[in-house]
Amino acid sequence: MLKHLTAICALVATPLMAQDFSEGSEARSWNLYAEVPATFEATVVDLICEFTGDCPDDCGAGKRQLGLIRTADDVLILPMKNSQPAFTGAAVELQPFCNQTITVDGLMLEDPELGANNVYLVQTIVPPGGGEKIKANQWTKTWAKEHPEAEGKGPWFRRDPSVTAIIEEEGYLGLGQELDKAWIAENF
Amino acid sequence: MMRSFIFGALAALALPVAGQAAEGTRIQVTGEIIDTWCYFSGVMGSPDAVVGSAHHTCALWCSAGGIPVGLLAEDGTVYMVLKVGEDDQTAGGDGILKLAAHTVEADGTLYERDGLNYIVVNAVVSDLDITNQNHDDYGNVPPFSIPASAKPQGD
Repeated sequence: MLKHLTAICALVATPLMAQDFSEGSEARSWNLYAEVPATFEATVVDLICEFTGDCPDDCGAGKRQLGLIRTADDVLILPMKNSQPAFTGAAVELQPFCNQTITVDGLMLEDPELGANNVYLVQTIVPPGGGEKIKANQWTKTWAKEHPEAEGKGPWFRRDPSVTAIIEEEGYLGLGQELDKAWIAENF
Repeated sequence: MMRSFIFGALAALALPVAGQAAEGTRIQVTGEIIDTWCYFSGVMGSPDAVVGSAHHTCALWCSAGGIPVGLLAEDGTVYMVLKVGEDDQTAGGDGILKLAAHTVEADGTLYERDGLNYIVVNAVVSDLDITNQNHDDYGNVPPFSIPASAKPQGD
């Protein structure tokens, strides 16, 4: 009986371990040393829900961190970045597909020495059931809608009210305005 | 008998099911609240340069931008922070933003899955502010994190 179970486990596990998720990927390189193109089907999950059972219907409305459970091998991937080079995450891009199965394309980062395993940059999303690829670049538009008071020139991160409030209070180095000003005067 | 055993074994392989609570481990961790994208990707420099006061402003940007925040423990382990107390808005929320680059003592529940450590912080036991003052070693990282407008004028 044990022999039968071992054989079943081997049958289930072998093709998954050999799977190459870079095949078919059209991901654009970011020239990151640990990047590997990867495209795969996955279900979007709310990570708090996944671990604790606390599961709002909307997966946290884009404010909770989300995960991708890869269909092929049940591995939980952490999508950290969207496709914008603007300090922007992936939850806003994935939240519309909460608990749905999509196909993503992007860059996997693997650097076990630093603890980076199964972390991902999402570049495009194919909705459930197929269709056109959607670029994962909606974050800045969403931010602009949520912060009409911060309208102006320059990138969002120079205008974000919460960020600017902390910098005004703690300085760019976070050590207080006095130290900040002295260090800037000395170094620039 | 054999058939039901095989089905049972296959069902066990299929677990865990989405939405099902996982078994966590209660832990206490002391470490720095970091920007995990810059730390893992190397996009802004070496791991030592993308933490602490040198990287404070960029850590604010990434946290406000919804990039996952991590707790970098003294032994080098990174814990991905999913929740702090009752605040579940760790993708761009204001609560977690205030802790950027701070060293904290946290009591939480650890969930390990597929090579990553996830933590639900039950309580920040103490917030020690920024203890890693590395700006003299690395400057401000990235250099544009301090805008030209903040620099002395007329010199």
